[in-house]
Amino acid sequence: MRRVAPVPPSLPTRGLALSVDALLLATFLLMGEFLVRTLAFPVEEGALRTAQEILERLHYALLGGAGLLLAVLWHAAGRLLGGTPGLSFAGALPQSESEVPWDHTLRGWFTLLFVELTFFTGWLVTEVNLGTFFTNFDKAAGVIRGLLHPSGAVLFEGLILLIQTLFLAFMATAFAIPPAFLLAFAAARNLTRESPAAKLVYTALRTAMNLTRAVEPLVWALIFISWVGIGPFAGVLALWVHSVASLVKLYSEQIESIDRGPMDAIKATGAGTLQVLRYGVVPQVIPPFLSFTIYRWDINVRMSTIIGFVGGGGIGYILKPRVDLGEWGEVGTLVLLIAVAVWVMDLVSARIRERIV
Amino acid sequence: MSAPVAVSVEKLSKVWPDGIRALDDVSLEVREGEFLAVLGLSGSGKSTLLRCINRLIDPTEGKITIFGRDVTSAEGAGLRALRREAGMIFQQFNLVKRHSVRDNVLSGALGRTGTLRSLFLLFSDADRAEAQACLDRVGMGDRGDSRADALSGGQQQRVAIARALMQRPKLILADEPVASLDPALRNSVMRHVEALNREEGITVICSLHDLDLMKRYATRAVALREGKLVHEGKPEDFDLATLKSIYGQEAEFGFGEAS
Ligand SMILES: Nc1ncnc2c1ncn2[C@@H]1O[C@H](COP(=O)(O)OP(=O)(O)O)[C@@H](O)[C@H]1O
Ligand SMILES: [Mg+2]
Repeated sequence: MRRVAPVPPSLPTRGLALSVDALLLATFLLMGEFLVRTLAFPVEEGALRTAQEILERLHYALLGGAGLLLAVLWHAAGRLLGGTPGLSFAGALPQSESEVPWDHTLRGWFTLLFVELTFFTGWLVTEVNLGTFFTNFDKAAGVIRGLLHPSGAVLFEGLILLIQTLFLAFMATAFAIPPAFLLAFAAARNLTRESPAAKLVYTALRTAMNLTRAVEPLVWALIFISWVGIGPFAGVLALWVHSVASLVKLYSEQIESIDRGPMDAIKATGAGTLQVLRYGVVPQVIPPFLSFTIYRWDINVRMSTIIGFVGGGGIGYILKPRVDLGEWGEVGTLVLLIAVAVWVMDLVSARIRERIV
Repeated sequence: MSAPVAVSVEKLSKVWPDGIRALDDVSLEVREGEFLAVLGLSGSGKSTLLRCINRLIDPTEGKITIFGRDVTSAEGAGLRALRREAGMIFQQFNLVKRHSVRDNVLSGALGRTGTLRSLFLLFSDADRAEAQACLDRVGMGDRGDSRADALSGGQQQRVAIARALMQRPKLILADEPVASLDPALRNSVMRHVEALNREEGITVICSLHDLDLMKRYATRAVALREGKLVHEGKPEDFDLATLKSIYGQEAEFGFGEAS
């Protein structure tokens, strides 16, 4: 093929690269300041660093400005300092530079240092305390002893609710299949290339599904509890929304990876759009779709045990109060039930999926 | 110059978004009943040309008519009606692998079947009888219930020919129909294409890279090189000098008894 001469990066790409660099350098400086301050003026053991304290102490404006300045300087230095991490991120490194081994570049060393700094800052921010981890074990021992001696008191109730949980997960999955199946075609890039309107639908749908998935099922449960009231139906709806969004993603990615050949062949017979989808696409995606759907049911079983914590029905509903009260024996029973159910689901779903593909 | 024009291609060009000019000002005419071979190295634009004729690809410039009707400006139902006239056969067979052989052949009737019925694979008894006849023609009459991907390559390609025949086409576009088959099986597939041409009078445009096959089956041949039409003539006109001009000086030819 004809090789294209290297083009200088476009203005938006440069802008992106510079912003990334400014952000990286500013973050680097701020982490550095946080580290120095904390080490120089240690707070008392166990005393929480409040957001307020952190906010008061760090020089955001100053270091942010410094980060921007350094980024501009690095960009201006050009060949002298080599490409910046931002340029690399934006995919705008010149060919000659992307071939240099990383430890011969400033960019590489900066990235290494940045990751290390993040680790040490993270250590302080998350209040890692290995001392308590290794010495305070006896406090947890009581809980573990309780869990290992399950009480039979909630066994029956637990079993009934476990069955409800399995049905809850099943209904959420079943309701999710039809909408996900239909939406997946409009969310597949290879089927939406032809017209600008289809491209728009594709983008809108993908965005909407990503946002939906970004919201935790627990939050969806809260929304639906206030909609349809406390109980398993709210849980079904919460998992349903989440399942639709994930299945659309999985289904549409599968559609994107099909063999175009049969589609072209069906098109060539004079078939219409729906016929092309039915004959050229659907037969290729049915087995993976089934596999994804069963996998999703599996995930929904796990999630539905948690959904009960906020009132979405299922076994979690009676687990939460017992955790709060410290009834570890009964908690042990319920956790054991859940573990067995999840384990069995895992085996069954893996087995079925093996058979399908 | 007796038979009416089946396909006419005028000043056809195709430029891909990446700037590759796959077809460059190609003009040709195919008359009804001809078996036209399209020669050329891989990448010379053979597939692009065939796919422009039934508009699986939209050309950048130029005009194509089949049986006097304009393909290039056709849209929607009009375009689908034109596609029905042209059965297509692909190098990779492109059967629906998980469907039975019979359902694959029946899909050739999609263009004349209602959408709702076809979504549930409800074809009429007449269509089923016709599909069986098409399968019989290519010697696959007893394999209707097999899954398509259970067949060998040569068998799959014969089913693909039956599918094209099910369209009741007046034209067959065959894109390297035997290139992925064992050399020993090539004639068994080409003979069926030839039979449709000789017995049914179906016009055939067939890209090939095997010169022996071209000499044996084609009534006329054209050659593409880097998207340009560089040669056109009777199969016997393609002598060593012409072939070198098509394939480049380095090419070597094992002609068998044809040389
Ligand atoms: N979908 C496509 N997108 C971009 N370029 C393509 C596409 N299909 C084919 N081409 C290019 O067009 C040229 C002709 O290809 P093709 O018609 O497939 O040649 P042939 O069938 O003779 O091997 C090649 O350079 C190929 O890379
Ligand atoms: Mg080709």
